[in-house]
Amino acid sequence: MSVTAHDDLPVEHNPLASMPHDTHGGISNPVLGMLLFITSEVMFFGGLFAAYFNIRANAAQWPPINPETSEPFHLQVLPVVTTNGVTSYSFVLIATILLITSSFTCQYAIWKIRSDDRTRFIRAMAVTIILGIVFLLMQLTDYAILGNEGLTLSSGTFGTTFYTLTGFHGAHVFGGVIMLSVVLYRGMLGQFSGKHYDAVEGASLYWHFVDVVWILLFALLYLLPGKTPAA
Amino acid sequence: MHPLRHPRNAAMVGIIFIIIGAIYWIAPSIQGTVNSDDIAAGTTLLVFLGVAMALMAYVLVAGSTDE
Amino acid sequence: MATTTLTPAASRSMSSLYAWLTTTDHKKIGILYIANSFLFFFIGGLLALGVRTELAQPGLQFVTPATYNELFTMHATFMIFLFVIPMLAGFGNYVVPLQIGAPDMAFPRINALSFWMLPLGGILLLLSFVTGGSAAAGWTSYAPLSEDRALAATGPGQDLWIVALVLIGTSSILGAINFLVTMFKMRAPGMTLFRMPIMVWTVLVTSVLVLMATPVITSALIMLFIDRNYGGAFFDPSRGGDAILYQNIFWFYSHPAVYVMILPAMGMVSEILPVFSRKPLFGYKAFIFATAAIGALGFSVWAHHMFTTGAVYLPFFSIMTFLIAVPTGVKMFNWVFTMWRGQLMLKTPLLFAIGFLTMFLIGGINGAFSASVPVDFALHDTYWVVAHLHYVLFGGSVFGVMGGFYYWFPKMTGRMMNETVGKAQFVLMFIGFNMTFFPMHELGLAGMPRRIADYSSTAGWNQLNLVATIGGFTIAASMVLFLWNVFMSLRSGQVAGDDPWEGNTLEWATTSPPPAYNFDHLPEIRSERPVFDARWGRVAEH
Repeated sequence: MSVTAHDDLPVEHNPLASMPHDTHGGISNPVLGMLLFITSEVMFFGGLFAAYFNIRANAAQWPPINPETSEPFHLQVLPVVTTNGVTSYSFVLIATILLITSSFTCQYAIWKIRSDDRTRFIRAMAVTIILGIVFLLMQLTDYAILGNEGLTLSSGTFGTTFYTLTGFHGAHVFGGVIMLSVVLYRGMLGQFSGKHYDAVEGASLYWHFVDVVWILLFALLYLLPGKTPAA
Repeated sequence: MHPLRHPRNAAMVGIIFIIIGAIYWIAPSIQGTVNSDDIAAGTTLLVFLGVAMALMAYVLVAGSTDE
Repeated sequence: MATTTLTPAASRSMSSLYAWLTTTDHKKIGILYIANSFLFFFIGGLLALGVRTELAQPGLQFVTPATYNELFTMHATFMIFLFVIPMLAGFGNYVVPLQIGAPDMAFPRINALSFWMLPLGGILLLLSFVTGGSAAAGWTSYAPLSEDRALAATGPGQDLWIVALVLIGTSSILGAINFLVTMFKMRAPGMTLFRMPIMVWTVLVTSVLVLMATPVITSALIMLFIDRNYGGAFFDPSRGGDAILYQNIFWFYSHPAVYVMILPAMGMVSEILPVFSRKPLFGYKAFIFATAAIGALGFSVWAHHMFTTGAVYLPFFSIMTFLIAVPTGVKMFNWVFTMWRGQLMLKTPLLFAIGFLTMFLIGGINGAFSASVPVDFALHDTYWVVAHLHYVLFGGSVFGVMGGFYYWFPKMTGRMMNETVGKAQFVLMFIGFNMTFFPMHELGLAGMPRRIADYSSTAGWNQLNLVATIGGFTIAASMVLFLWNVFMSLRSGQVAGDDPWEGNTLEWATTSPPPAYNFDHLPEIRSERPVFDARWGRVAEH
């Protein structure tokens, strides 16, 4: 069913046209509820980002100097970097690519269930979940690497903001993995069809949100250049 | 009758907050006052609020029941 | 929508304890919210009496300073998070689906979950009293005091406080989502957005505020928790953090929160005044736009709580704060003109609504003084602010809630409350309230600071403090009268019938109390006063 709430909007211009709809038009209640929940999550991350930007703006040197190495803290982007014969690893770039891919597989799963192709829907959903789990494992590995280099939650403002922001993002990924797993389980029981897939839509919207937050976080924490006080 | 026919118009409500955030960020420098250290927090929150409000307004209007 | 028939066994369990514990009916949940909120009103009130008893005379007579800090911290915490906000949510829960002609809220089970998180949060807060002391850094819990384990709370009290507030905040957010989906998706045919009662509109704007602002305080509390327990440096200046940052993030929520605490009460007053003035609401659309303007502007004034930190861009916040007076004034004007030349039915709901108008006006005026930066520099953290906040939150929200309670009690229970006792309660409460809080204007102007357990006997504050304490106990007496009225009316109040007040809105088009599914039959909806239209056979079409 592709009845939209506003028939004056051509279907192809209405991004919500293919979302699950009620008999009276409008998006279905659970999907609308999930979208509103996502807006509240935007504000939650807003608070955390506000803290990060504020602390960063007030610091003359960013990232701050690591007291153990007397060098600024460094978040490595590239997977393998060798300096002075020492090789260091970082999984974040691979993890980012995997998470972005998982959004595509998730959307593919949605397209498949919309056309009632349950087998491909289940496969794509399973791949999405696996990618999500691998992302989390890679994050944990990176945490261990950084911890060994002396960056912990109590390593001053840099450690606190880094671990809090990425940690809460990771918690949301974890929640998303659980949600998608429930959807996968219900899908395998045959509870979804081309006409009835509210929960899939809701879970996938949440998953896309989690991905968008990560892209923002990755850009801010890893890619944004630091600053040093003018000499 | 829905007061706003096009959801895109509803999302304009988010612009208000982004504008307020922009004023909040720029105004001290125009006025020439001492830069308050904590402008970044408030500006960030106002900008995020604008985004969240636009999203909320859009889905509420687009997702409403047919009248 | 599929219909179900109740099994014969259903009626047996419908009124049992089990039914109340497992209900997903918005009416029962609304009543649970209201009952729970009154419970915490009494607990918060007892804590206030503790504060007032200590302050009645100079010298520390009853509590230590540390205990006193717990008293005012927990008084405000209970009142804000477990009384006012949930009380208004509870009335919204009961009234909104009825007023839009819906059979229930959009997500009945999440509705139940939202409620049960509240007593749980309350228990956590009460537990903190017996686990080494409750939170004691003020309900605002500023860093660095709230991060100092030696001073702020020697036990886990402050951490319990953080966890409880996160829980209660989540309950609010889920409720807001529920309200918004309900209001946008489940209105009866003919009930357009601009025919919804003002009560529904105020709950709508309130829900937007809750949805957007509450997550921000969740983030602030989590950052505080990390600082306290995991060596975080968010708010620790000695390690690159910023204590004022906490205040910014905290007030970004807590200022919109005050509109969360007043708007639904304004909605209730907007329901009561037309019915008891026998006149339509003056300026229906202006009310809606004014409410939306208050909600929007409310997000841009947060740092007026922080003028004296020296870290605030003063002109911006002062101007925005003065601006909010404009839509608020529009509403005042509209309420007065609703009553003007009406045929006033001087029953208890109207008395409380008039009490709201007059007391909230005072609170708005003394707030406008505080919006001026030089005035605030002198009066910040004095009893002037305590006067202001109580005039708007007690004179405003509590009087509004009392009016709403007397107004909707017949619908909820099928019985009328006793008018004589109601009027007596109003008079006693009005006198007690003003006796308690009006002197605080003078105390603030005379320089008495907030949050002090004791004061010098030569400062000249003795008499006013004593008067305020007597007022406090007068309020308590009025609440005893209230409780007596409630219990008496529940047992033997006059039977109410469907529409005892000749109301305008849809809740009066069904029985008192309504059946589980709310309506057997809906009147035609062609205006914001469908029951009025049906009663007089008129159609005010718009």
